[in-house]
Amino acid sequence: MIQLQNVYKEYGGRPALVNINLSIGLGEFAFLVGPSGAGKSTLMRLLYREETPNRGTVMIGGINLTRLTNKQVPLLRRRLGIVFQDYKLLASKTVFENVAYILRALGVPENEVQRRVSSALCVVNLEDKSQDFPDELSGGEQQRVGIARAIVNGPPVLLADEPTGNLDPNTSLEIVQLLERISQRGTTVLISTHDQLIVNALRRRVISLSKGQIVSDVDSGLYELEAKS
Amino acid sequence: MRQLRILSRVFVETGIGLKRSGWSNWLVVSILAIALVIFGTILQFTMVLKEVVNSWGSQLEISAYLKDNCDPNKIAKVVSQIPDVQVVEIVPKDIAWQEMQTTFKVAAINNPLPNTLHIKVTSANSVEKVALRLKSISKIEHIRYPLKVARSINKFRQFLEIAGVVVTAALTFATLTVIGNTIHLVIQARQQEIEILSLMGVSPWYIKGPLILQGASYGMVASLAATLLILVMHFYVDPYVHSQLFAFMPFLPSDLNAFMLPTFIILLLLGVSVGASGGAWTSGKYIKI
Repeated sequence: MIQLQNVYKEYGGRPALVNINLSIGLGEFAFLVGPSGAGKSTLMRLLYREETPNRGTVMIGGINLTRLTNKQVPLLRRRLGIVFQDYKLLASKTVFENVAYILRALGVPENEVQRRVSSALCVVNLEDKSQDFPDELSGGEQQRVGIARAIVNGPPVLLADEPTGNLDPNTSLEIVQLLERISQRGTTVLISTHDQLIVNALRRRVISLSKGQIVSDVDSGLYELEAKS
Repeated sequence: MRQLRILSRVFVETGIGLKRSGWSNWLVVSILAIALVIFGTILQFTMVLKEVVNSWGSQLEISAYLKDNCDPNKIAKVVSQIPDVQVVEIVPKDIAWQEMQTTFKVAAINNPLPNTLHIKVTSANSVEKVALRLKSISKIEHIRYPLKVARSINKFRQFLEIAGVVVTAALTFATLTVIGNTIHLVIQARQQEIEILSLMGVSPWYIKGPLILQGASYGMVASLAATLLILVMHFYVDPYVHSQLFAFMPFLPSDLNAFMLPTFIILLLLGVSVGASGGAWTSGKYIKI
């Protein structure tokens, strides 16, 4: 589902990613780990085509992202779900409206919006909070709204960029377990994190980045302290 | 159906954007309306003056003196076919001589006057052009026309046209800046929303459309307000000005109402297009998708 071949990216002459080769299959669940500045966010930005590589190819679901025109980018992003560290919820809208916002912008019929939003809120266990505003929710609940919004359009790929960065350890574990359950329904999930606790608790595939290079890629792996250096 | 649903959401988002802008909406509309009132007034003034200048110009007359051995009717027919010639009047030499004798008590000599054509043209602009054509007709011995007056009228008209373009350009630029600043504030307020929409794959025109429509709405409301103000001036000020000026300018058009509809249409088109351009320009500059 996700494939990177010989990807090289630099900013102002300083390499951010060097010779990245990576393949993540359909329905797979993987962590992308590494210390700050390792290149995790750059790699995630390449995947949702916020950036393009200087060299190499990035493919998602058979689509070569490096060949996409700017007009085609929205079509790609509709096939992706993105979860952010800072949730990016609209404070003036209720939980329901936040999740429904994208569907309405995409012209989905209202009865379909109601059905899909209810279903997404059910997955993240927030049906009873649908009329609450984001500031009435805890951090974990807000992130669950962010996840509901990311999955409401039924994307085959879910990208979560530091989704537990603002959460306490217990809530972080709940969020990652929720993402794991979503993966079990057939969605490819890639989580970038430097939270050792959640990575080691789940023992799933771990791709470690350091100084822009993949230093290890292990199934049922751990976030080794060495990977941080 | 899907496109219609998206379009209706674009209108909803436009409404939300306008609501969110609050008092700054009125600031923009006021500034734009003032600019349009100034423009509309200049436009009306220019239209009236053009009419005056044209009427004045069409009163300019070219006199063409014919050679003795030609038929004035034939030459008049040739002259009337020259472009921009409005009226050709034949003054036979006998009638001219009779009038001269009546007016000046001239001695009893042989009639020395030639047959003459008095030619009126459509505008002052055409006087020199028509005069040149007349000079090329061999049966015409000599022509006379008020060259300086024609040139002055043309210069004045050109000045009005250039002044109109300069004033319009300056006002358009000022208005674009004001609209741009307001929409920039809206973009800043919606920054997160725009980022989310962009990352979730919503099409750029859904994101930028409400901002362009917001600008167009400013233009529409401002042009209506400007037209209303100009109408008020038209009903209460114009009759007074007209009565005062008519004594000095007999060519002043008697029906100034005729200029209202074109003014309103031009203001509406200008307001909406400047507003929409302001929205498009600002959203293009500050929203990178």
